Amino acid sequence: MKPTTDIEGLLRELAPQVLGAVLRRYRQFDACEDAVQEALLGAAQNWPAQGLPESPRSWLIAVASRRLVDEWRSESARRRREEASAFDTAEPSSEWQAPEQDDTLRLLFLCCHPSLSVPSQLALTLRAVGGLTTAEIASAFLVPEATMAQRISRAKQTIKGSGAEFELPSESERSLRLSVVLHVLYLIFNEGYTTSSGPSLQRADLTTEAIRLARSLLQILPHEGEVAGLLALMLLTDARRAARSDADGSIIPLAEQDRSLWHAPQIAEGVALITRTLGKAPVGPYQMQAAIAAVHDEARTASDTDWPQILALYGVLEQISPGPIVTLNHAVAVAMVHGPRAGLALLGKLDSDERLALTHRLDAVRGHLLELAGDEAAAREAYQRAARMTASVPEQRYLTLKAARLLRS
Amino acid sequence: MKYMILTFGDQATMMQERTVAWVKEMIQFMHGLNAELQKSGEWITAEGLADATAAKTVRFQGGIPVPTDGPFAEAKESLAGYWIVDVESEARALEIASRIVAFVERPIEVRQIMAAPPDL
Repeated sequence: MKPTTDIEGLLRELAPQVLGAVLRRYRQFDACEDAVQEALLGAAQNWPAQGLPESPRSWLIAVASRRLVDEWRSESARRRREEASAFDTAEPSSEWQAPEQDDTLRLLFLCCHPSLSVPSQLALTLRAVGGLTTAEIASAFLVPEATMAQRISRAKQTIKGSGAEFELPSESERSLRLSVVLHVLYLIFNEGYTTSSGPSLQRADLTTEAIRLARSLLQILPHEGEVAGLLALMLLTDARRAARSDADGSIIPLAEQDRSLWHAPQIAEGVALITRTLGKAPVGPYQMQAAIAAVHDEARTASDTDWPQILALYGVLEQISPGPIVTLNHAVAVAMVHGPRAGLALLGKLDSDERLALTHRLDAVRGHLLELAGDEAAAREAYQRAARMTASVPEQRYLTLKAARLLRS
Repeated sequence: MKYMILTFGDQATMMQERTVAWVKEMIQFMHGLNAELQKSGEWITAEGLADATAAKTVRFQGGIPVPTDGPFAEAKESLAGYWIVDVESEARALEIASRIVAFVERPIEVRQIMAAPPDL
């Protein structure tokens, strides 16, 4: 992905609005999405030299519509054209003026439809709602463009086949469907939140994109506590990005980060957002994780961290959203408040948890707590086990170095 | 999540044990599988390797790298080819591998590629 220029930013913002308008008129998601993507590409090529049209949105809608009609004029597509014109007469022209925000929301629900696999949900959301090109998405996920093109086209076929409509889910389905949308945005963020340098820098754009999408979702649903919680969590996490790795991409743990590199305005925004959200909406896991991130971000030094408060927050998180990863983090907070042995005792409960058996996290945390407790031999073994199990290169390097340092001492 | 799916064996053994019809069917099966993976948007790459009898090994001998013949591993242990796929889960990678195993009736190795995003 190139750095987001003004025009590129504008196009990404307009993408879901334009697609929404075209979809309401012509209905066929796959064809409409292709046409809008072509219109966006045309704009990206022409506008920098020719300047913006008077109404960029109308220009894009007009160009996308013309492409659709051109395609439907071809003999082989006659039947589809007839269907489309049937819709055409059925649609009152005022539909063109429906609130743009509803369109973005409908699109998000469509792209995060439960009939799609998770990788497809991510790809389709970035293209149809985010306005990214297939090449940009492919490069962000480090797969060939042809693979991504096929994934997107397959996803659109699946949506067509599932009969999913461009409309808001029913009241009964809504909260479940919203949680899928939030999970997809969270995964897009997580995918981009990498510590590597070099070509992976492109992936940092995914965090920016996830934050942008979460921001626009919050504008549409200002009273959904979990939407605010997710955005706050992203802001508070991403604020530490510059301090999270060194020049060669090695991980720097939270306690050792240079906090002057943290992005203060983003922390202020995240803290304000989570502060005004907590207590006003039903509490949820994203809000609690954001609250915990806020406590970390507000500590001027690692030793200033308010661990008793973090411990209390993990207690709440464990009640509303129990799971092995939460218990794992809870154990770290216990160790910081009541000592490493107390944390290790809590970790012991996870030994039989099959969900953690194949991840490196349990042993990485165990190594850390054993190191704090002064048991270097056991800590080294735990770090080595964790290093063998992780599939992340920076994490493997970090854990291996941890083990190696203990070997030397 | 990206996985490498590895197949093992050598041509001589295959020609001894299998009929020409089977080999043709196998080639068709592989083409079909590749097309299917491309269509589903999971295909990154797939390659077959030239027979291990023509392979060289560069060894560290007397302080310098020296190309030598070999490796002379057991034929059934030599790498014959691989797929790289980008799939939703390990279960899906195992499902793809199982389809190949069901056809070739030989073991297939499935290895995750170090590309997972780090923890938050």
